[in-house]
Amino acid sequence: MDLTPRTSSDNAPLAPRKHNRKWKYVVMLVVVVSTGGFIVSRFLTSAIDFYCNVDEIGKREGCEPNRRLRVQGTVEQDSLKSDAGGTTFVLIFNNQSVDVRYNGDPGGIFQECIPVVAHGQLVGDTFEANRIEVKHSNTYAEANPDRLAQSKAEKCSLLAG
Amino acid sequence: MSTETQTYKGVGTPTTRMYGLMAVVALGWVLLGGLFFTPEDAVQGDAVRIMYVHVPTAWVAYLAFIVTGIASACWLIGKKHSMGFDRVAGASAEVGVLFMAMTLLSGSLWGRITWGTFWVWDPRLTTTAFLFVTYLGYLAVRGLGGTAEQRARRSSVIALLAVLEIPLVHFSVVLWRSLHQRATVLSPDGDIKMDGLMLFTLLFGVFGFTVLFAWLVSHRQRIKAMQDAQQVTALDAAVTERLNEVQA
Repeated sequence: MDLTPRTSSDNAPLAPRKHNRKWKYVVMLVVVVSTGGFIVSRFLTSAIDFYCNVDEIGKREGCEPNRRLRVQGTVEQDSLKSDAGGTTFVLIFNNQSVDVRYNGDPGGIFQECIPVVAHGQLVGDTFEANRIEVKHSNTYAEANPDRLAQSKAEKCSLLAG
Repeated sequence: MSTETQTYKGVGTPTTRMYGLMAVVALGWVLLGGLFFTPEDAVQGDAVRIMYVHVPTAWVAYLAFIVTGIASACWLIGKKHSMGFDRVAGASAEVGVLFMAMTLLSGSLWGRITWGTFWVWDPRLTTTAFLFVTYLGYLAVRGLGGTAEQRARRSSVIALLAVLEIPLVHFSVVLWRSLHQRATVLSPDGDIKMDGLMLFTLLFGVFGFTVLFAWLVSHRQRIKAMQDAQQVTALDAAVTERLNEVQA
């Protein structure tokens, strides 16, 4: 009994559509694998800048002052100054501080008392940042007008979480 | 392998309709509560409202991928290799990818407002993006050729490996220094630092999106069952037709 697939009048095999569908998924798989590789490579590249707390600069391995770093700390109260030339502030962590200068407006919810990550390099005693990322804590509290009456220190502790 | 050729008149059942209704009510509250009733955050202001979508969709995406893993394990371990498990695994992964896309999109918008950037190659963001891409790959593998059993076998193995990424994503903020904040509700010290109405709306969001997930998966797996049944019926009809031709 001959149950071989039928052919069209010009002897070309019928139903090539399923093949096309399969190729669509093969292409999707190639794109997915390439994207996965891209994600991993970008992550590893970004990890080249060591992630240091302010108090670790010059003390922890990888946090040498002569290399590009990502420095984490909290913007010290009453230290923030902004003008046309950029933004300067003091970053503090574990009672150690560093002066930071950034050419521009950091954006986001950047303000005093908030934890930030500054990307850049130490030049002299000042950390010259070319990127500022604002962290926010895992504390979520209602914005309460009564808190305007709170002391600056209390507000600062709330912002820093 | 069992071949189930059930007849379906539609994909809705009283249970799915109940899921749908519960999802509408719960997500309706989340919409109203998230936009109007919950307070602004002291630091983030109105940006905190993105949390009511971002966190539930992330949790439900995890849940979806865990369901995919469990269903895949059931298919592999089960003696009958019921294709129902494979369909649930596939349906759950599809919905999980949808929720994960929502998580990445809402997180990116939230990051722009709070961090000042749409994206950073941070451990939490990177592992989440990798998880998303892994499950896109899982769906691509499901679409490759072969029999239903071959599809189920290879995708089950991938699902069991992929689900191992979830703890890595969740604990990435603890394992590495991260821009992303640590867990609030699932905080290891058990101290939830969130105002009551915010927490209630967030948990209601988790409930609403979970019911939505159940509704979508139950519909999607029944559609898959219909597609499988249609293929079997079409194959049977084609073989019968061809036999008749040959015999004639």
